[in-house]
Amino acid sequence: MTETTIGSGIVANATTSRTALLKGNFLPRFVAGLAILLAWELVVRAAAPAYVAKPTTVVLAIPRVITDPAFLQAFGSTLLAVAEGLAITLVAGTVIGLAMGRSNTIDRVIRVYINGFNAMPMIIVLPLFSLWFGYSSGARIATIIFAAIFAITMNVADGARSVPREYLEVARSFRSRRLRTLTEIVLPASMPYLLAGFRLAAGRALIGAVVAEFFLSIGGLGYYILYNSRAYHHNEAFVGVLLLAAFGVGFELLVNWSTRRFMPWYRRDEKTS
Amino acid sequence: MSNASIRRHLPFWLSIFAGVALWEIAGRSTSKAFMVPFSETLVRLWQLVTRGEFLTQLYDSAQLFLTGFLLALIIGAPLGLLLARIRVLRIGLEPYLMTLYATPMVALIPFILSMMGFGFAPKVLVVFLFTVFPVVYNTVEGARSIKPELIEVARSYRSTEWSLWREVMVPYTLPYMMTGVRQAIGRALVGMIAAEFFLSSTGLGQLIMGASQDFDTAGVFACILVIGLIGVGLTRLGLNIEQHFARWRQ
Repeated sequence: MTETTIGSGIVANATTSRTALLKGNFLPRFVAGLAILLAWELVVRAAAPAYVAKPTTVVLAIPRVITDPAFLQAFGSTLLAVAEGLAITLVAGTVIGLAMGRSNTIDRVIRVYINGFNAMPMIIVLPLFSLWFGYSSGARIATIIFAAIFAITMNVADGARSVPREYLEVARSFRSRRLRTLTEIVLPASMPYLLAGFRLAAGRALIGAVVAEFFLSIGGLGYYILYNSRAYHHNEAFVGVLLLAAFGVGFELLVNWSTRRFMPWYRRDEKTS
Repeated sequence: MSNASIRRHLPFWLSIFAGVALWEIAGRSTSKAFMVPFSETLVRLWQLVTRGEFLTQLYDSAQLFLTGFLLALIIGAPLGLLLARIRVLRIGLEPYLMTLYATPMVALIPFILSMMGFGFAPKVLVVFLFTVFPVVYNTVEGARSIKPELIEVARSYRSTEWSLWREVMVPYTLPYMMTGVRQAIGRALVGMIAAEFFLSSTGLGQLIMGASQDFDTAGVFACILVIGLIGVGLTRLGLNIEQHFARWRQ
């Protein structure tokens, strides 16, 4: 639709064609993308050694990499660890968050620690985890959980605190028990916060997994990138980075989509940080 | 101290005290290789400080942090304003900036290592990459929220591009930019430690890694304690900066 307007506009009227060009988002994006790729390609060809990744060679490497069993195994291992870590995080983080949100005493006691750990750069625990868990995938799971849990806890606590008072009053007047109020009213009402926290947590979990693999040399996507770039196979390594980026963006889109699909009454971006 | 402020701060200090006590008990009742009591951590920290090792490493880290962070600010903020001012550029580059923002930057460290080696420059680049995107992104968001009327008024008084930037764009965008600065501070800290871990190891990163390799659990805990406190302090600082400028927001 937009393309036809642009096409006919060029012949018919110069001014309208220019506004159509500016209004359509596709064309500037396409041109900018092309310019970035072209600049990258040319700079690398002109100034960098042959092993450095450039768009053409990365594209050529894609089919080779995604059929490579070693790559698939590495990808699967990271994916599984992130899923496992996130599942634990989701349950534990939600429980702690609900407790903080609904009980002032618990909030006062542990808030300072949750805030403190959240402000800590998460990768400094790696040397400690390597002492505790050894150079194993247990240390990776622990890093993922540590990286992700505070984002969920803080968001769920905020959500649980902002449940409308009327909901709780209705629940009380029907003599609902505490646990039931928590699972059937507070939890669903803080769902958008939970999802926003989960989106943040997923990104951090991915970073945690990659960093842990770098540090502990555990097989996985991060280690695949590290190993290949050390062996000067930059193109192969870069496919791994692309996959990570796609993962991050894909997760973001998935959470946005499910918020719109299942909770259309909540505006997106209501709570993001 | 007034009664009210005691009542407000008491739970905080009680909770800190309980945490330290718990740490002490846990440290005393488990193996030394696993956990070290709080008191021993402090003793070890004091040793590190008096031997001078600690302060030189802290200085190294601070240098890296500040260089990368300031570079990101100097490049990121004008870039953000430029993107906001030139619409085509913004629309064109937005999705790529978003993608880069969402990409885990740590994954690029091995490439930086094999292309740039072990100097100071590659580490600054890592901190820069961790830091620059929140600054650019929030600046663009802020500049987008400038009311078009303001720019029109400035235009109709024949204000030059320079004074338009100085008197409309920058003051309006500053609060948003500071949100970016707050987010960037936390990320710069992660970038700093990551660079010190995975590129040439210097600074606090080296200190903690060395302790871990020597199975010096007390040293590891001392470093985590200090870096954690630095993280908390910097986050506070970021929040204060953000709130200070947020008063400008209407």
